[in-house]
Amino acid sequence: MQRRMNRSCNLICMLLLCLLCTSRLPAQSGSVVTGTVTDSASTPLPGVSITEKGKTTGTVTGPDGRYRISVSNPNATLVFTFIGYQPQEVPLNGRAAANVQLQQGSRQLGELVVVGYGTIRKSDLTGAVASVKAGDLVTAGMNNVSKALQGKIAGVQIESAGGDPGSGTRVLVRGVGTLNNNSPLYIVDGVQVTGINNLMPSDIASIEVLKDASAAAIYGSRAANGVVLVTTRSGAGGKTAISFNAYYGVQQLARKMDVLNASEWARVSNAAHDAAGVPRLDIARNPDSLGAGTDWQDEVYRTAPIQSYELNVSGGGENGNYSISGGYFNQEGIVKVTGYNRLNLRIKSETTKGRFKIGETVIISREKTITMPGGWGGQGGNPVGSAVKMIPVFQVYDPGAQGGYAGAYGPVVNVANPMAQLNLESIWNRYTNVITNAYAEVSLFKGLTYKFNLGYIYTGGQAFDYAQRYKVGELFAHATNDLWERRDERNFVMGENTLNYSNTFGKHRLQVLAGYASQVSRFRTDSASVQDLPDGVKVLDAGAGVRSSGGYELQSGLLSILGRVVYSYDDRYLLTASFRRDGSSRFSPAHRYGNFPSIALGWNIGNEEFFKPLSKTISQLKLRTSYGILGNQEMADYQYIATIATNLNYVTGVDQSKWYGAIQRALVDPNIKWENTSTFNVGVDAGFFDNKLTLTADYYIKHTTDILMNLPIPGSVGVTSDPVMNAGAIYNRGLEIAAAYNGRLGELSYGVNATFALDRNKVDKLLGGLPLYGGQPTHHGSSTTTTREGGSVGAFYLIKTDGIFNSQEEIEAYRDKDGDLIQPNASPGDIRFVDANGDGIISDEDKQYCGSAFPKFSYGLGFNARWKGFDLNMFFQGTVGNKIYNGLRMDLDGMNLEFNYSKATLNAWTPERHTDFPRAVIDDPNYNTRVSDRFLESGTYLRMRSLQLGYALPGALLRRVGVDGLRAYVSFDNLFTITGYDGYNPDIGRGSSILDRGVDFGHVEYPLTRTATIGVQLNF
Amino acid sequence: MKRYIIYACLLALLFTACSKDFLEKKNPNAVAVDDFWKTEADVLAALGSTYNLLRNVNTGYWGVRGVELSNGRGDDFFIRNDVKDLYSLSTFTNNPDNGVLNSLWEGSYQAIFRANQILERTDGIAAVSDENKKQYKAEARFLRALNYFILVTNFGDVPIRLTIPAGTEEYPIAKSPEAEVWKQIEEDLGAAVTDLPVKWPAEWTGRATKGAALGYLGKAYLYQKQWAKAAAAFQQLMGAPYAYNLTASYEDNFTATRENNEESVFEIQVQDVGGANPWATSGPAESIGVTTAQEFAPSLVSGWFEAYPTNKVLNEFKKELTTTGDFDPRMYATLVWQGQEGTFYKQPISRFFPTEYSFTSRFKKYQNWQNENELRGSGGGNYSSNINERALRFADILLMYAEALTMQGRPAEAYAPVKRIRDRAQLAALPAGYTQEQMMAEIRHQRMIEFCREGLRFYDLKRWGLLQQELTNSDKVGRNFYVPEKHDYYPIPQQEIDANGQMKQNPLW
Repeated sequence: MQRRMNRSCNLICMLLLCLLCTSRLPAQSGSVVTGTVTDSASTPLPGVSITEKGKTTGTVTGPDGRYRISVSNPNATLVFTFIGYQPQEVPLNGRAAANVQLQQGSRQLGELVVVGYGTIRKSDLTGAVASVKAGDLVTAGMNNVSKALQGKIAGVQIESAGGDPGSGTRVLVRGVGTLNNNSPLYIVDGVQVTGINNLMPSDIASIEVLKDASAAAIYGSRAANGVVLVTTRSGAGGKTAISFNAYYGVQQLARKMDVLNASEWARVSNAAHDAAGVPRLDIARNPDSLGAGTDWQDEVYRTAPIQSYELNVSGGGENGNYSISGGYFNQEGIVKVTGYNRLNLRIKSETTKGRFKIGETVIISREKTITMPGGWGGQGGNPVGSAVKMIPVFQVYDPGAQGGYAGAYGPVVNVANPMAQLNLESIWNRYTNVITNAYAEVSLFKGLTYKFNLGYIYTGGQAFDYAQRYKVGELFAHATNDLWERRDERNFVMGENTLNYSNTFGKHRLQVLAGYASQVSRFRTDSASVQDLPDGVKVLDAGAGVRSSGGYELQSGLLSILGRVVYSYDDRYLLTASFRRDGSSRFSPAHRYGNFPSIALGWNIGNEEFFKPLSKTISQLKLRTSYGILGNQEMADYQYIATIATNLNYVTGVDQSKWYGAIQRALVDPNIKWENTSTFNVGVDAGFFDNKLTLTADYYIKHTTDILMNLPIPGSVGVTSDPVMNAGAIYNRGLEIAAAYNGRLGELSYGVNATFALDRNKVDKLLGGLPLYGGQPTHHGSSTTTTREGGSVGAFYLIKTDGIFNSQEEIEAYRDKDGDLIQPNASPGDIRFVDANGDGIISDEDKQYCGSAFPKFSYGLGFNARWKGFDLNMFFQGTVGNKIYNGLRMDLDGMNLEFNYSKATLNAWTPERHTDFPRAVIDDPNYNTRVSDRFLESGTYLRMRSLQLGYALPGALLRRVGVDGLRAYVSFDNLFTITGYDGYNPDIGRGSSILDRGVDFGHVEYPLTRTATIGVQLNF
Repeated sequence: MKRYIIYACLLALLFTACSKDFLEKKNPNAVAVDDFWKTEADVLAALGSTYNLLRNVNTGYWGVRGVELSNGRGDDFFIRNDVKDLYSLSTFTNNPDNGVLNSLWEGSYQAIFRANQILERTDGIAAVSDENKKQYKAEARFLRALNYFILVTNFGDVPIRLTIPAGTEEYPIAKSPEAEVWKQIEEDLGAAVTDLPVKWPAEWTGRATKGAALGYLGKAYLYQKQWAKAAAAFQQLMGAPYAYNLTASYEDNFTATRENNEESVFEIQVQDVGGANPWATSGPAESIGVTTAQEFAPSLVSGWFEAYPTNKVLNEFKKELTTTGDFDPRMYATLVWQGQEGTFYKQPISRFFPTEYSFTSRFKKYQNWQNENELRGSGGGNYSSNINERALRFADILLMYAEALTMQGRPAEAYAPVKRIRDRAQLAALPAGYTQEQMMAEIRHQRMIEFCREGLRFYDLKRWGLLQQELTNSDKVGRNFYVPEKHDYYPIPQQEIDANGQMKQNPLW
């Protein structure tokens, strides 16, 4: 029954799409008018809609604010509208040119803000919603959409998830609300998607981030981490507009690690062996003869090109508009071999006929990512890790070896030659993603419309991993050519029926929404592998060796009813109330439904009579407050039913054949229920001096209860995985401020915008009262973070160091209350650790609070300026007060394992030269390399995130060749970072667990790039 | 108006399009626990899954990490400084947060959880005969006892868990004293002795037998110094219904060709069947072989040379020559050494020396040294070895029997079992009239060379109270960091302490 239903849903969707693709193209007629639209500061405004009054045809301004429109008669009136500005009507009176200055809407009456399931007037807004329009997003030169948002919105933290080509970002709205998935809900043109990295940046018309409960409550489940609403560009009536954007750039490793060269390494290694009284390594025998050796980082990293081409055609007619775009993006990685490319196609249109309106968006992307191998066993990790750890004595190539690469030999740690890893194993995956959304809207009677919205996403994935046979040095050998492949498919269908009633009764304005929605997701994957392929053949059929296969399926469903009332009286008193009830297949029938109400109040003080005298200075003032509850069901499917694990096989019998095994190996909590987040928000929006200066500030308190997570249970229970439980509660409170100023000096117009956010979290309760541990920094070592009741999430709890023992006497003097030596294994040159609990033993019990991974505050600072045709855009961001655990340094400063070390080890303590860097000793009996505050560093940084300098060619010149606008620019990413942090990059991000936040996994993490690009934007 | 009615109908249709059972999603990947435990095949699969853990690459006591753990602290064993967690364990410089240790702990309790399920669920299956139920449960109790044996000898006081936890409040439990753990082991093994068969049909060879349960029962008594009870258990294994005997050739116990032979009392079944991936710790991709041989093979043949015999054990082998004046055949089967003639991995032995360290021999026992290297298993699995790990050999029974007798002040009676060991090694008859101490010295010497690389040395020394002495007089790396008492047991893994509010760390850790 259910399957049949979905099939019919698909059919409806296809039909709708067919219907929608028939919208008519506009006709051209009459005379032509041109001009430039600017704001009050004379800054050109791109994207302003211009229509002829009484017609629905129109155009939009280009990147330099210029427009060109055909009008039906020379005395027509043009209507200029732009979000955030007061609409303006300009009678032409026969003019062929009209330059227009738009005033920022002090009342902002016209501006609509996208909220869930519709738009509301910004003036009616009572929730914390941050809105970024295309004009504010410097998407040019950005490889993905969320990077363009970085630092633009207060309270929205966007961190790069590494420098991998095509890498995404990690978006955190208002700190850490939960211990599971903290990523927000993404909605693109009405469809819930898993991420927005596959979108083309120039396709974006606006991004709204719903931050508080009132704004997000209409999305109920998953909205607890905020909602990111993306609206892609639509066509405007009138003339067909074509825009073309292209850039080409180069990327470099932003920071190289300082490691030893061959002879330096040999000296340190010899000292470390001598100190331990063990024989020196053969390869380190003659340091002087070794020279510099191989610089493995130089071998692995390259200057890599990045390029992007995007074309958009848009237009419209009396009854419809369309926007079609396509693009190609290619980014080679700074790590050789790696890369990413993406093809995009997007079609969006809307057609009106009588009381019906139908429209659709289709976004197709095809991405391919070539990644580096994760590791070949042993302790080196991936090529990024190997590049710093590989001993410089070893060679890169060995033409005589199977595969052609040399590698490590002798009694050293198994670190693979990173060049061999990159070239002998080929790994890529490809994703085809189709996001479609189609809607039909009918206005039933005045103010009441019914809308049916159907979203469908298809994601087809393919992954490929081919390892050819090799012998790399003495430590890595693989006898056969092996291939592994995987295919997967995800189908997601959502249907929404909503009724919207909107009307004004005198001073009362009312907007009511009621709806019913459902969504179903089905994912299925199969994989297969085979060994022993003939050289050069890379298909599964051809393998002679062992074959194995696997596969699984995941399904989930969500059923919802929703409603919202937005009421305002005289534009002064505002009320928004919403309710959503969600039923999720992830919970047992007894706990299936969650209710998510919210209420918000607003007061436009600026509209009060008594405020009028002040309006010259304070042009706008609004107070808002809201309270609401949101849900979260971010866990794997089927967690409430215990199942039998299969293929836990053994061997039996004289003929030693396979004995099929199966049993329950995990426990479940059948009573898991919705995680809830209640948020209280109070905010103010203010504008000064005709809104030249605007300010938005929000304060919030968020309380998340029944947090769903895989709670670590004792190993002695005997399960192989931890059960999902409602494990605890967390408080977050924070302050967000965003301010912008736009000014003018002669012909120079400029703008400054700043965001500031601080967030404090506190763990209110943990199930069982036991702390949670996380952040194991390298292959070795214990956890670095402790999350305990009353403390903050992922706080650094570490054993503290107290300098170096400079003499045996100092070691002898370091005794506990019973007179026993606290560090009996220490020698001069070793670290003195603090025995915090005074039990005479240095152990995990001595961990003390050492700082937080969360900044005291974070900020973003942007400047833009225009002078004649030139424009300049700069953006800085930073954090203050956070700590980073430098996991890579823990390996490289160690001198306790047989791989390469950091340059800092040259400064190690010796009996002759006392320094604060512990001595070299290969077996490290004092555990100088143990997890301690030795490797905790300040994460404070200020980064010049982007710098762009552009020049728009004069219009008169261009029009002669039929071009509306042409802008060229140079752009720089990550030009510099001011930080005391020693690792690759203080802006670290690893998505796996929130408890790992602030731990730099530099031994596996793809480092950040510095990028320079040149680009053009062409409109005609 | 009519139009509105049509719209309303259309709306109603769309609203009802999705029904309630839409949210009822059964896991399409697995059978629910309530649908399992219905047939005999289910019980057999459950047993298979419990045995599976014994050789798991990370958690199994006879998987590679387990072999490294059980041998690593002996005075006869060196683990190189590659995998830091292993090196630190073998050199007495580990912390409680050692990952390898945690795996062993968790793996043992995973097996116990599985055995407990079999014990609780089997009775309710109507399709299984009472006779078979008894036998399955006896087998589960054997496996549970075996895992508690691993836990008690390595960690000392440990939590005893005999049921499936009913709810989250039952997850954390406190440690029980060592004596209680031993008592539980004795009870389980006693029950297993009663209901297990003496022999399995050919297709089930390798499963626990009555003899295996009896052997471990005796061993449990021996470890508790209950000499009389131990001797009584071992004595039963000397004759019918059991047919245990030493193999004529010592080496037959460490090759894939003569598995489950007459000397095998309990043997971990290892074969390169299933998938090709030895590190997939479960599932269809997992090769059921083990990677230990590759880990210990020399780098010359692309092995990872993780472990070496110390020179102390090499010298121990050289102490007594055979009646023909040759080295002990067990030395030939266990090691290759510097200066030895012959081939190893199809290459002259001389090419494997000197080693990367000061050690002058390498392991040959349990290595597939007749092949060129260890890169591929017989079934194609990467680095997979087929050689079954002999967990309990009759030779061990004999020497434990001899020890149990000797320690009761009856060294004269120990001659017979010791003679069987010595005869196979072609050693001359012992002089008559050994005192208890002389006989124990002989037993200690024999155990050291008979069971080298079989994971017994450290525990023997601990039983005998000789750890300090024997480590000190050896070339064991890390001997200077050994702290008596503290290092007699591993620490309770930090992860367990972190997640179990009732857990206490072992003394001195």
